[in-house]
Parts: sequence; C-alpha cells; structure tokens
Amino acid sequence: MEALLLFVVIIGLMLTGVPIAVSLGVSSIGFLLIFSDASLASVSQTLLSAFTGHYTLLAIPFFVLASGFMSTGGVAKRIIRFAIAVVGHVSGGLAIASVFACMMFAALSGSSPATVVAIGTIVIGGMRQVGYTKEFAAGVICSAGTLGILIPPSIVMVVYAAATDVSVGRMFLAGVFPGLMAGIMLMIGIYIMAKVKGLPKQAWKGWKEIALSGMDALWGLLLIVIILGGIYSGKFTPTEAAAVAAMYAFFIANFVYRDMGPLYIEEGKSKSLLRNPHSLLTVWMHRDTRKVLFESGKLTIMLMFIIANALILKHVLTDEQIPQAIAEMMLAAGLGPIMFLVVVNVLLLIGGQFMEPSGLLIIVAPLVFPIAMELGIDPIHLGIIMVVNMEIGMITPPVGLNLFVTAGVAKLSVLNVVKAALPFVAILFVFLIIVTYYPPLSTWLPTKIMGPELVIR
Amino acid sequence: MTSAGSHNPSAGDRIEETLIAFFLGAMTLITFANVIARLMHSNILWALEATVFLFAFLVLMGASYAVKHTFHIGVDVVVQLLPKPTRRLVTLFAVAVCIVFSLLLFKGSWDYWWAFVTKRAFYEVNDIPMPGFLQFFAHWLNDGELYEKMPRFIPYTVMPVSSALLTYRFVQAGMRVWRGEQDLLVESHEADDEAELKEGAK
Repeated sequence: MEALLLFVVIIGLMLTGVPIAVSLGVSSIGFLLIFSDASLASVSQTLLSAFTGHYTLLAIPFFVLASGFMSTGGVAKRIIRFAIAVVGHVSGGLAIASVFACMMFAALSGSSPATVVAIGTIVIGGMRQVGYTKEFAAGVICSAGTLGILIPPSIVMVVYAAATDVSVGRMFLAGVFPGLMAGIMLMIGIYIMAKVKGLPKQAWKGWKEIALSGMDALWGLLLIVIILGGIYSGKFTPTEAAAVAAMYAFFIANFVYRDMGPLYIEEGKSKSLLRNPHSLLTVWMHRDTRKVLFESGKLTIMLMFIIANALILKHVLTDEQIPQAIAEMMLAAGLGPIMFLVVVNVLLLIGGQFMEPSGLLIIVAPLVFPIAMELGIDPIHLGIIMVVNMEIGMITPPVGLNLFVTAGVAKLSVLNVVKAALPFVAILFVFLIIVTYYPPLSTWLPTKIMGPELVIR
Repeated sequence: MTSAGSHNPSAGDRIEETLIAFFLGAMTLITFANVIARLMHSNILWALEATVFLFAFLVLMGASYAVKHTFHIGVDVVVQLLPKPTRRLVTLFAVAVCIVFSLLLFKGSWDYWWAFVTKRAFYEVNDIPMPGFLQFFAHWLNDGELYEKMPRFIPYTVMPVSSALLTYRFVQAGMRVWRGEQDLLVESHEADDEAELKEGAK
C-alpha cells in the first residue's frame, strides 16, 4: 500500500512541473525517512554508486559522445545521400530514404532523439521542397528516429543490461533483426501512404551514385563494425567499445570528413591534413571539439541524473521487497507468460507516457524481471519487448522525447507532431505485438553467435 | 530550441561549460588510452577508477548547471494549461520540493563525506595513487601515516559540493520564478508553438 502511495506521489510531483529526476529522488528519500530507518548518508551513497558501482552505465556518455561527433562531423548528410541513392526512386522515396537513413544512423548512435536531430534537420526541409507536407515529414522522422534505441548500439539496452545483469553484447545482437523489421514495416507503411497520396518519386541516379555515396558514408558506418566486432571478438568490453567508438568518430569527423574542427573552412570546403599537420595538435583544444564535448556532456547529465535518482527508487523498492510482493501476487492470480507479457506491455506503455525511457527501465526492469524468470521468459526477449515499448513511449504524449525534439526540428507544435506520428504509432504497435509473441525474432541471433545463454534464477 | 542553447555565456557559465567538456573528454581519453595500453599488453591500473570518478563529477556538478539553464526534463503539459498566476504558484511549489530534495541530499552527502574525513580518513580508493603534493592531508587527518593511494574523501568531496551548489541553483531559480522572470523549472516545449505561429504569419 505504501508503495502505491509512493508512485502516486512521484506522478503527482511530476505533474506540478518538478523535474523527473527530482520527483523520483525526493519521493524515495521521503519514503525511506518515513517508513524505514535508512540514513540520509546511505541515500547519498546510493546516488554515488550510480557512477562508481555500475560500470555498464559508463558506456552511456561514450555512446552519446560518439553520436555527437558523428552528427556534427557530417556523417548524417552522407548517410542521407546514400539512402536517397538507394531507395529515393520509388513512390514516397524521400520518406523511405529518411527511414533508411534513420536506420543507418541508429547503428551509429544509441539514442532516439539524437537520431531525429541528426537526420531530421536535413531531410524534413528536403521533403517539404519536393512537396510533402510538413506534418507527414515530421511524422516519418519522429517514428523512424525511435529505431535509435532498437538498432544497436543502444543506450536503453545498456540501461536494461545494467539493471538486470544480462549481457550488453547479447542485447545488442538481439536488437538487430527486430530493428531491421521495424524499419521495413515503417517503409512499407510509407509506401502504401505514398501510393494513396500520390507522393513524388526522385530521379534514379544510377549505380555509380550508389557506389560513390556508399563509399563516402562507409567511414561513418564502419563505427558499428568497430563496436560490435570489438565486443564479440572479446577485444573490448561494451564500455570500452563505446569509448573507442567516440575516439574513432572524433578522428573521422575532424580528419576524414572535415566538416568540423581545424581543417574545416566552409560548407563543402576543407584544408588538407598533409599541408596542415599542426591540426593534429590544435584539434584537441578546438572550439568545435569543446562544443561537441559540452553538448554531449549536457545530454549525459540529463540522462544520468534521472538514472541516478531512479536507482534510489530502485533501492527503496528492493529494500521493501516490492518486486517479490508483486511477483507473488501475479503468480497467485495464475498469470501465465502470455498474460504476464500483456500486463508488462500495458504497464510500460502507460509508464512510457510519463517517463524518460532509461529512468523507467531502471525502475520497471527489477520489478518484472524476477517474475519473468519465474515464468520462463527469456531475459533477452523481455529486454527487447521493453525497448520496443519505450520506442512507442517516445512518440506518445505527454513525455515523448522524440515528439519534443521533432517539434523543435520541424518547427511544428508538439500537438501537430503527435497527430502526425499517429499512423506510425499504429505500425509500431503491430510490431510490438509481433515482437512480444514471436521470441525467436530477438533471441535467434544472439543464441546463434554467442551460444545459448545461462539463465540463473 | 531551448533557452539552454541560446545564451550569452557569463564567466561562471564558461567555467562550468569548460568543466563539463573537460570531464567528458578526460573520461574518454583515459578509457581509450587504457584500451590501447591493453592491446600492447600493458595497462593503466588507475584508469577505470579515475574514469568512474570523473563520471560522477560530470553528472553531479552538471546537475546544477542544468537547473541554471533549465534543461532538466519533466512534464510541462499540465502546468502549461494553468492560467499564469496559478502556474506561478504551482511552480513555486515545485521549486520548494526541489529545494527540500537538494537540502536532504546535502545533509546526506555531508554526513557521508564527513565520515571519510574523520573516522574513516585512512580509507583509500582502490587504484588511484596519491599525488605527493597532497600528502599534507596525511599529517592533518591520518596521524602522519602517508597515503599510498588517494584517500576516499578527496573524490567524495564532489558530493557535498555538488549538492550545495544544487541547492543554491534551485534557490536562484525560485527567486526568478518569484520575480516572474522564469516560468517553469523544466525544459519548456511551449516555445515551439510560438515559433510555428511566427512562421505561419510570414
């Protein structure tokens, strides 16, 4: 009962405009002070342990940074050029190419809003020029951007792995097929809409353009090879892979693409490294480098402050044995695996409306994980279901990060973006049902590559 | 898009922004250097621990910067529906909650940290060596017994400092709301509608 009160207080505070992180933190501290004899010092210790005790979470700032360098460094426009060359010539080609570009960018970035910003800032204008409505363009980007957290690497998967102690590598692999499938489903949806609305095609530019743009985008796309290859060969831990990815992105952005940093002159023009070898030294202190570091730092702060406070709440829930209580209740009610997954989906869909995905996962994962294990549900499969729920949460109000970001990028009101995203929410909803009731879609690849996993109850 | 993106940085902002950039950059370089070292069959023993502490510095110190520039996220739809005077009252309530939070956090952090300064001053971190010039702490706090590794209270200082700063920033935000200079505590999305109206008017 007290636990229910706790959640009511959290949501109540959020609605009055208290930041999410503080709502979580202050309610949990209050609960501890009133209902248990925990000291304030132990709360601070829990907060600090978010950083010192969860090595996996350390991957988050590095993935954010890698994606920061990639988007500032001009990888997005190269990916978009390649995507248009490949699929631009079908009906609704620019929108389909945008989805394809989002899928590729998702493979470099672990975050959905980052994907929306990187791809959206470029393609929304482009789509309007060829006669798509702004709303349609915004809806496409807003929903395709959610693939950022499903296609590896993914910050939300890192958080799930940290919360439940499953392997990050497995989670990343598990996201590959569902990610491809979600992308293809969105593309098919757009194709049908394009046929109905009679949206324009782009000219077919030939195989040469595909090859050229593909080569140009390749430097950026190699990042995913480094991340996945590094993790699966056992050369790096996921956290190290993320740091290596950040360094790689830094060098590609500054010295290969040269769209930022000391060698950049203006749009499309840059200096040669061979003639300016001193740039190898100046780049470290360059204002573009500082700016990307700072912007990525801001995003990390926002995410991690929520996660750290969610960890205090998690601490409270575990202390009060609330997961066990809920598990007993559900098992006593005779809930089978299928009904359980329905309940999880409903819970996450509602929660996803109000919370930022990482924070929500930190709280919900420990609640449902033990029950899922009891019912024999695969932990990796459960993780992917949660990630897909979070995707839907990001494009449904009131707290849908992607909605806000898209509204900013497309210069539309949030309400208009909500409406524009609706048909795509429906597609993702169908996708969620498929993912939920067809586990091999998620589990086949990790099992194939890394062998069957050991589930320790 | 947000108020955080478009400001003229003051000297204080500049310091905070540089620190944020520095912490993240240093974390990345140290972790990367450690990977390279390992590929060459060596390793930097203190790399992981140093990175983890920098991570804590980044986020805990950054949280107060986020209050200053209102980029903490939250639910603004309900508050936006309220008429202005009511909204101000509700936001003042939200500020009060935040100040309570940061004060509790400060008390907890102080208690936690103080224990490491006094009765647990001998307690060292796992890997980071103690720089020589800081050894005067050994005479102050550790009965003259030199530290081999850095004592824990040094990195843990971030806890009381950051929560004190957080409290200060929330009080400042509260005063801005009181004077009517600031509307909300969380990142607002209302500006987007105005942007659209402006564009529609063109």
